[in-house]
Amino acid sequence: GPVFGVLAFTRFS
Amino acid sequence: MNPLDWVVLLGTMLGIAAYGTWRTRHTDHLDTYLKGDSATKWGTIGLSVMATQASTITYLSLPGQAYENGIAFIQNYFGLPLALIIVCAVFLPIYRKLGVYTAYEYLGKRFDSKTRLLGACLFLLQRGVQSGVTIYAPAIILSSVLGWQLDLTIIFTGVVVIVYTVTGGSAAVSLTQKWQMAVIFGGMVTAFVILLTKLPPGATEMAGAMGKLQAVDFSIDPDKRYTFWSGLFGGLFLSLSYFGTDQSQVQRYIGGGGLREGRLGLMFNAMLKIPMQFFIVMLGALLFVFFQFQPETPVFFNRAEWQRHLEGADGAKFSELDKKHAELHRAKREKIEAWMLARASGDSRAKSAAREEMVTAQAAVDAVRGEAKNALLQANPRAKVKDSDYVFITFILSQLPHGVIGLLLAVMFASALSSKAGELNALGTTSTIDLWRSLRPLAAHDEARNVRAAKWFTAFWGLFAMGFALSASFAENLIEALNIIASIFYGVMLGIFLVAFFFKRVGGSAVFFAAIAAQALVIAMYFSLNIGYLWYNLIGCGACVAFSLALQAVLGSRDQPVERNS
Repeated sequence: GPVFGVLAFTRFS
Repeated sequence: MNPLDWVVLLGTMLGIAAYGTWRTRHTDHLDTYLKGDSATKWGTIGLSVMATQASTITYLSLPGQAYENGIAFIQNYFGLPLALIIVCAVFLPIYRKLGVYTAYEYLGKRFDSKTRLLGACLFLLQRGVQSGVTIYAPAIILSSVLGWQLDLTIIFTGVVVIVYTVTGGSAAVSLTQKWQMAVIFGGMVTAFVILLTKLPPGATEMAGAMGKLQAVDFSIDPDKRYTFWSGLFGGLFLSLSYFGTDQSQVQRYIGGGGLREGRLGLMFNAMLKIPMQFFIVMLGALLFVFFQFQPETPVFFNRAEWQRHLEGADGAKFSELDKKHAELHRAKREKIEAWMLARASGDSRAKSAAREEMVTAQAAVDAVRGEAKNALLQANPRAKVKDSDYVFITFILSQLPHGVIGLLLAVMFASALSSKAGELNALGTTSTIDLWRSLRPLAAHDEARNVRAAKWFTAFWGLFAMGFALSASFAENLIEALNIIASIFYGVMLGIFLVAFFFKRVGGSAVFFAAIAAQALVIAMYFSLNIGYLWYNLIGCGACVAFSLALQAVLGSRDQPVERNS
């Protein structure tokens, strides 16, 4: 042995 | 269902199964049978990991859950990308280096045979039962809605998956999962696009105004089931345990074209899983808006169950509830139209007042839905009153054109087959490698005999799952109960592996008895506390690690590890 968006969109409410 | 739907459904379902069986019919090497084709690329591994995780519940129940409770469930996946990074960096290199077939084989090399047996038995017990639910859950919903015989639906899907999984092993599973995922993506995108064409302007804002779009909740209240923190920490431990120690996932990435392919396949999932789940829960939230404008929206979505009671002794009561719901639904629609007018006028005060009236009207409809469920329970205490599983299938059957209905039913069956195949493959492998070989060590070098044993064990678990699905009278919330059981057992399993990787002075006896004590503690806590079930992953794991270290200190040099990590 060759990355996370986190929506907080919520603030639609 | 018309002939076109049947052609699409059976063509995709049987076509993919037949293709997988034919392509892998000459699989007679143990490595290929248990780990898949050694040339498998990261794209196939990534899709295979995704297909094993997402069963029919994902595509059928999640939209219904979002319809009922909003999209907060997506927070459960917040720990997944972080867990996959840890699996790539820590778990996968060690599995590849040792060339093990199963995760529990590693426990045998690191600790001793009793710890290996404990891990393998925990997996076989939990996953064996779960595989019965994997085919039962879609069969009960589809047979109820389509009027099919439940037993025949279970037997048909069970036999199809047994045929190709037994024939080609892991190679057949990966090959079929790739095409099944193509059907799933195609079907879900088609349904989403058709739904969008049927929605009024401002649909997303309306879903938000009705409280369906609370994607993230930073509350630290442990009683709340879905919060950012429970999703991040509980979800991290659940995902670590699932992807790192559950053979049905380990088997998907342990083979393939090399370490790089396995890692990239897992990173593919780390990047796409949350967007994919967001797409599915948004479908449910928008279905909620769609049904606000349908005059025929039912008070209870499992129409077959409701119809039985309408025609029963208490029919008048159920008919009255139908009328009451229709009136309240009509009143709510008027409030929604008033809100849309206020929204269009740009008057924020009028819009805010209209929103309050709309939410109040929704609460009245929710109350009558609650009454309907209570009436069902009074008439039959064993009635299944969770109707959110029937929301998406109601939309599919009433709103989609023929052909697309067949495609969406193929999505439901493809997801059942793909996750079931991954489970059977892993159950057969663990039974062969961790149990059968322990009893017959001399047979370990006879490759043909090993492949034969793996085929027989795979067939046995397939028949076991079918028998379980056919004979068990599943409780209403058994599916959620099984998720809770997974959380109860997964934490301890992860604890065993973390001790193996990071605490090299701990030996087999210490971790074995620590795991049993930690498991007893988690079960006792489950019956005495009321906290979100995701937290048990963290508690079980922490207790197992702490008890292992304490026991090792007591046992001292009498309990030395078989091998060391460094």
